[in-house]
Amino acid sequence: MLYRKMWRDIKNNLSQFITIFLMIMIGIMAYSGIESYMDGMTNTAKKFYKENNLQDVNVLGLMTKDDLNQIKEMNHVKDAELKLSLTATTNKNKTLLLNVIETNNISKFYIMDGEEFQKNSSGVWLDNFYAEENNIKVGDTILVKYESMKLQEEVKGLINVPDHLYDVRDSSELYPDRKEFGFAYISSSEIPESYIKNMISKEKNIEEELIDQIIPNFNYKDYIPWNSIMVDIDQKKNRDGVKNKIEDEIKNAKAIINIEDTSSYVTYQGEIDEGKTYVGVFSGIFLFIAMLSVITTMSRLIRKERVQIGTLKALGFTNRRILFHYIGYGLWISLLATIIGLILGYFVIGKIFINLEMSFFEIPNGKPSMNNTSYFVSLIAILMVCFITYKTGKSILKENPAETLRTKIPKVNGKTLNITKKKIFKKLHFESIWNIRDILRNKMRTFMGVAGVVGCCMLIVCALGMLDSMNFFVKLQFETLYHFDYKLNLKENLNTEELKELYDKYGKNTSKSLGIEIKNKKGIRESNNIFVTDASNYVRFVNRKNEIIPKPKDNGVYITYKLAEKEGYKIGDKITWHIYGEDKYYESKIIGFNKDPQNQNITMTRNYLESLKIDYIPDSLYTNKNLENKKEIKNVETIQNIDNLKEGMEEMLSMMKTMLVLIIGIAILLGTIIIYNLGVLSYAEKEYQFATLKVLGFEDKQIKNIFTKQNNWIAIISIIIGLPLGYYLTDWLFKTAIEEHYDFGASITVRTYIIAAIGTFIVSYIVSKVLSRKIKNIDMVTSLKGNE
Amino acid sequence: MKSYIELKNVKKTYEIGNQKYNALDGIDLEINQGEFVVILGPSGAGKSTLLNLLGGLDKATSGSIKIGENDIAKYNDKELTRYRAHEVGFIFQFYNIMPTLTVEENINLIKDVTNTCKDSKEVLKSVGLLKHANKFPSELSGGEQQRVSIARAIMKNPKVLLCDEPTGALDSETGVEVLKLLREQSDEDTTVIIVTHNTMISEIADRIIKIKNGKVESNEINKHPKKIEEVKW
Ligand SMILES: Nc1ncnc2c1ncn2[C@@H]1O[C@H](COP(=O)(O)OP(=O)(O)OP(=O)(O)O)[C@@H](O)[C@H]1O
Ligand SMILES: [Mg+2]
Repeated sequence: MLYRKMWRDIKNNLSQFITIFLMIMIGIMAYSGIESYMDGMTNTAKKFYKENNLQDVNVLGLMTKDDLNQIKEMNHVKDAELKLSLTATTNKNKTLLLNVIETNNISKFYIMDGEEFQKNSSGVWLDNFYAEENNIKVGDTILVKYESMKLQEEVKGLINVPDHLYDVRDSSELYPDRKEFGFAYISSSEIPESYIKNMISKEKNIEEELIDQIIPNFNYKDYIPWNSIMVDIDQKKNRDGVKNKIEDEIKNAKAIINIEDTSSYVTYQGEIDEGKTYVGVFSGIFLFIAMLSVITTMSRLIRKERVQIGTLKALGFTNRRILFHYIGYGLWISLLATIIGLILGYFVIGKIFINLEMSFFEIPNGKPSMNNTSYFVSLIAILMVCFITYKTGKSILKENPAETLRTKIPKVNGKTLNITKKKIFKKLHFESIWNIRDILRNKMRTFMGVAGVVGCCMLIVCALGMLDSMNFFVKLQFETLYHFDYKLNLKENLNTEELKELYDKYGKNTSKSLGIEIKNKKGIRESNNIFVTDASNYVRFVNRKNEIIPKPKDNGVYITYKLAEKEGYKIGDKITWHIYGEDKYYESKIIGFNKDPQNQNITMTRNYLESLKIDYIPDSLYTNKNLENKKEIKNVETIQNIDNLKEGMEEMLSMMKTMLVLIIGIAILLGTIIIYNLGVLSYAEKEYQFATLKVLGFEDKQIKNIFTKQNNWIAIISIIIGLPLGYYLTDWLFKTAIEEHYDFGASITVRTYIIAAIGTFIVSYIVSKVLSRKIKNIDMVTSLKGNE
Repeated sequence: MKSYIELKNVKKTYEIGNQKYNALDGIDLEINQGEFVVILGPSGAGKSTLLNLLGGLDKATSGSIKIGENDIAKYNDKELTRYRAHEVGFIFQFYNIMPTLTVEENINLIKDVTNTCKDSKEVLKSVGLLKHANKFPSELSGGEQQRVSIARAIMKNPKVLLCDEPTGALDSETGVEVLKLLREQSDEDTTVIIVTHNTMISEIADRIIKIKNGKVESNEINKHPKKIEEVKW
């Protein structure tokens, strides 16, 4: 019997139950969706790294077979492999990171198409994304050029490799340009003898033809200029030991880098870490707002049943039966909503987000994964709903049935409303007074309404604000800081003549990057880099306020604000550092701070560098000459156009946009439901009063105005609160969520605030308009009959 | 003399599922201006339904309801609203006053719908609520609350005052006070129509109408209405 009553009650309050259902569902969907996306990211990579045996440590330097064997012999080293990485070009003038290997047991290929890698096999294994973008299939032939080496290779396989999830040509590019840049692997047996001979002859200044005679038992394979060794270590905890050992025993080792510090790994992990904050913030806010209004609605629904509860009690039902009956309402509805929310979260939100990421990171089998937190949160949501129905029901049951059954005029607590009797209020029209008092009487409901609209407004500001801030960053980076049209990445160690040739043609605005280690105040060494500038105003620097620092001085170094904050450096302090591969330490005075959005490092002028007796050999040259038609320049590794760099960024922004549109969409959906739901609640409470007004001869329009007025106030107040909160949320997200080497802050345009304000108001306005349509249909007779 | 209110064959039909139910089944009535009318009848007879039609809260299914010169049965929603705003005052069993407005504000509400209002202070004085003007309804007794609703009804100087069980929720003493106020209104030429179960009230009425099963059972003029003081409650 009670079951039938339950379903009938649900039918009678259908719109309320539907909103409760939707709010729980959307809240859980947003939460579990983003959670499953983040976890999917983590697990996908974990699996890929493990199954394809990602290297643990990368030893850089000019490595030899002996070094390899020595490392292989070390304790705890499971395996090691030589690798030669070259920045090659194709005949179509694309850039390929060409990796030469002997075997492939570490950082193994994941074959998307084609065959497995074979030792001494011919052919090339090609970056799958790059191949897709350039429409290259297995069996096609590509031409790869590096210096004097020209290789015509058949594509044997299209691959993903665990240390190439993310590859950019140059650290000034943020977004990988898969059409222009990819990676490729060939077997060392493909390196032609002539190339090695040519190299040796240049290096040792001997005729190529004479090499065989001068070097006894010459085998060109022994002279492949390997530039790294990948090391696979048995357990994480043994890594430092192995590293120390390599540092001590392998002279050729210039740098030993943990895989976790490489850009592919860092960028992917950074994406996860950033995302983790979004889980906490965005989906947390969603769920919080949703649950707030679910609780209010639920407790109101039960309260509406007051008389019925009293009746059931009077009829002799036990308190337990009655409570179970009402808890059933909450249980079934929230159970159903969470299940559907979880399913949609996984299949809709999770899938969409993961697929977006998988178009950015090159990693196979990306899929969302549901974890225990989502189930736990769902359980909490269900328990919360049940608890609130239990609590409300219990408090009603405490009243004695006679009391409950007596209908009475709603009690007005004179005290709280007394202020509104004061003089200033006397001047107000009754609509305003009535609304003010209604708000005062329903503080909780008003608070929920404000919270919902604030949340909605905040999320819109934040979502759009993030775009604004990114746009601002692009402008800062590519217009203010980078003040050139082209950047030429020079080949290593050019001599004076070669440089002069370039200077004559393209000007002498150059820079050099130095890999260094800083010894901080506590004596701990940390790797970093120095940007040495001789580029006058082709590369510029700004302070915190984004104002350009006119001309860097020559008597010390500048460090970035974030680095200074992290290590506690002040102007005038000394900073201790040494160049990678050299033992000599320098102490430099800090003479200023600069802000760099992407890189927390040290900057100095060429003059200062030279005053330290360090040679200045530039590695980059900046020019405004038009190089549109130049494909290749002698002694230049790559030519980068500022517009291309910018485009790369903008592509990343467009990916972000998709996500943000989704967030805004959910925010508006949630906001609408909350406003609608609270509107329904407040309407239901007032219907009887509206009916009275109607009897008194008020026109529908007048009554509608009274009703919408309050909602408009709530919207306006919420917007006033929501806009600045949106700013702080964005700023906080940028400051905390983003990786350590970035220095971003919120930079939100007026347009965003206006859109958020108007958007929020329109949503609220439309909802109250829709609700106020009910006023027209008030049946005075029936609504006055049920005087409650 | 031509009667002020004239109902001809008024029917109100409710449809419940496929079944039709006549709450009013052909009412013919005439009431003169300034009369104090009492409508009696068993529960479910259709008294409230009739009163609602007279007050323009509801529309008749058929028939004509003439108030003065106009047939309000033919009115559309807008005209009905205007009719309610300017011509009728309503008083309910459960007062139906706005709980969040003070006594005076509740009465001043009427200024929003018509400009033929009396002075609110005067009205409050006439119902004896002047000293409670600044209180909220929940701070008043039942009788005082009903007087607020009377004050609100007479504020607009209505031609007709419709009361559905105005004393139903009051004890007899306060009930008398309320009736006295209503009687005073009819003495000032307002037509007062009261629906009640209390047959005693009919002793002070000018006209007594009995309703049964949606029909007029009787419609009599009380030649010698008693003074309220004369009736034993
Ligand atoms: N909305 C409705 N739908 C269906 N039937 C209705 C509706 N409103 C009233 N009725 C029926 O119309 C009849 C008359 O109702 P009305 O409220 O006029 O009675 P009443 O004479 O005022 O009774 P009481 O003295 O109990 O107030 C009743 O039988 C009632 O069941
Ligand atoms: Mg009735």
